[in-house]
Amino acid sequence: MIKKNKIINLLLFFVSLTSISQTETPTLSKKELRKNTPAYIGISAGLGPSNFRDFATSPLFYKGTSKYLSLSYLKANSKRESEIGLSYSFGQFHNKFNNHSEFSTVKSVSLFYSRLYQIRKLSSQKLNIKAGGLLSTSGNFRVNEALLNNQIGFELIPTLFGSVKLEKDVSRKKEKNKKFLFIKYKLKPRTKNLAFRLNVGLINSSFRNGYAYSGQSSLLNDPVLFDDYQFKIFSGYRVNSALDYTISLKNKNAIQFSYLWDAYKTGGDLDKFEMANHTLKFTLLFNTNNK
Amino acid sequence: MRKLYTIVIIALSLTSCEKVLFEDDLESTNPRDNFEYLWNECNEKYAYFELKNIDWELVKSEYSAKIYDGMTQDSLFNVLGAMLTELRDDHTNLISNFNISTFGVNYLGQDNFDWRIIEDHYLSQDYYISGPFRHNFLDNKEIGYIRFPSFPGTVDATNLNFVLNRYKDTKGLILDLRENGGGAVSDIFDILNRFVEQKTLVNYSRIKTGTGHNDFSDAKPVYVSPYNGIRYKNKVIVLVDRGTYSAGSFFSLSTKALPNMILMGDTTGGGLGLPNGGQLPNGWTYRFSITQALTLDKKPDYENGVPPDIQVLFDWSDLTKDEILERAITELQ
Repeated sequence: MIKKNKIINLLLFFVSLTSISQTETPTLSKKELRKNTPAYIGISAGLGPSNFRDFATSPLFYKGTSKYLSLSYLKANSKRESEIGLSYSFGQFHNKFNNHSEFSTVKSVSLFYSRLYQIRKLSSQKLNIKAGGLLSTSGNFRVNEALLNNQIGFELIPTLFGSVKLEKDVSRKKEKNKKFLFIKYKLKPRTKNLAFRLNVGLINSSFRNGYAYSGQSSLLNDPVLFDDYQFKIFSGYRVNSALDYTISLKNKNAIQFSYLWDAYKTGGDLDKFEMANHTLKFTLLFNTNNK
Repeated sequence: MRKLYTIVIIALSLTSCEKVLFEDDLESTNPRDNFEYLWNECNEKYAYFELKNIDWELVKSEYSAKIYDGMTQDSLFNVLGAMLTELRDDHTNLISNFNISTFGVNYLGQDNFDWRIIEDHYLSQDYYISGPFRHNFLDNKEIGYIRFPSFPGTVDATNLNFVLNRYKDTKGLILDLRENGGGAVSDIFDILNRFVEQKTLVNYSRIKTGTGHNDFSDAKPVYVSPYNGIRYKNKVIVLVDRGTYSAGSFFSLSTKALPNMILMGDTTGGGLGLPNGGQLPNGWTYRFSITQALTLDKKPDYENGVPPDIQVLFDWSDLTKDEILERAITELQ
């Protein structure tokens, strides 16, 4: 009987050891991993120089400063990240040349969704590399009264990008004592991250005015929106990039300073449209799941 | 640290890439660049070369000979403006901040309108002004006279209801479109739909679709449907002259399909192409016609002017009479 009890006790000991081991090993299910991924709502504001040229109406560049606002939902960890969002930018663009000055107001809306996954073979503790895709659709609404019946321009630029992102942890691990002139100060440990993302258009397309630019629906007593517009796929190009400097806060929120660059040109046999935007952006990232 | 710098340098260096990706900046005050640009835009998009029998290549050789390096802006404007005048189309203009080129189609015929004569000898001083319409009774309240000097885009149901209700018991209406230079196309249909009792095909339209002089879309039909409200069913005489242009000519073209409407006066100025708008490398702007309005037998001929059903001209030897208006009154009595 005593022998039997000893065996049972030994078995119970091993069983208990096993259970301890199971709780300590971080073999989380995919669902749990997703649940533990920090999620943020990002609210951004920014501005920067932009320029565009619509060959259908003018060979001249119009330049101006765009104001930028965006709202997004971001889930990111070192292994994967996804973001969905909406941005709105607006500004007044000018062409001043040869004592002639014309201006165009431009309002742009973009919808975007992206997914990135870590490339383990290329990543290290110092540099994390992710790759994936970005689906973005940008629409510009432009008004330039000097262009008379062609004064209203609208184009939709849907693009599927291939993306690569490099992330570098630039956190301050230890407290540092610093001095500026005669002022002494301390820099506390802080989690910081620098990331560069490049998106290259793989499937470029555009929805844009037809050959004559103005449509004739008003003459037909049947006015329609996007009269004589044409959808072109696999034409044109688009490239954009983002340089992000993110500082995590104690309350698990974060702030982010970014420089965005976006350039595109429509393709096809019709007159081309070119646009480039440079944006200095400030983002408040509100953590929504306390992870 | 090296990786950190690399990331930042790559990011910033990409920003200059757009200069590589985009085409060259085409800003230029060079006279030849601007001449070539304007000539080519017209060559590829203007709608009436064939109808007007214009040899655009010949025009190029004639006017390019007048371009020389160092010519003044004024001289260049005169050459380019004169080149556009060869299109014989008042929907064609060159616009700078010191001049605007025009063709002047109204000078192809005599002047046929003087508002002061109508005010002094036909309308009493208390005529009504309802939005864009000036109107009153003529001929012992048997006829209504409506002056419509342009298509401002502000014609609305309230104006028209009042006007048509006022003259509902008249024998006929006179709608005076003389020297009406056009405007908003929407006004054409807002007025015409008060004078039809069933959906009526009034004309066709087609638009440029390619670089060839005869590259057009299919001819699309233009219908006018009856307004669901106050309409006028008696005879309407529409007065026109060479100054009746663009939307005025579109309206005149439509009357050809409406049996209760009679076009009277002189041939209109035409202008049946929708004008576009664009800019030259030197910052000047321009416009020219890119569509054709076609008759019911699908011909573009009325671009040169819509002929009246009854031709009557003004006699300037008697400044107490408007002969065209007199003839319209007689026609309605």
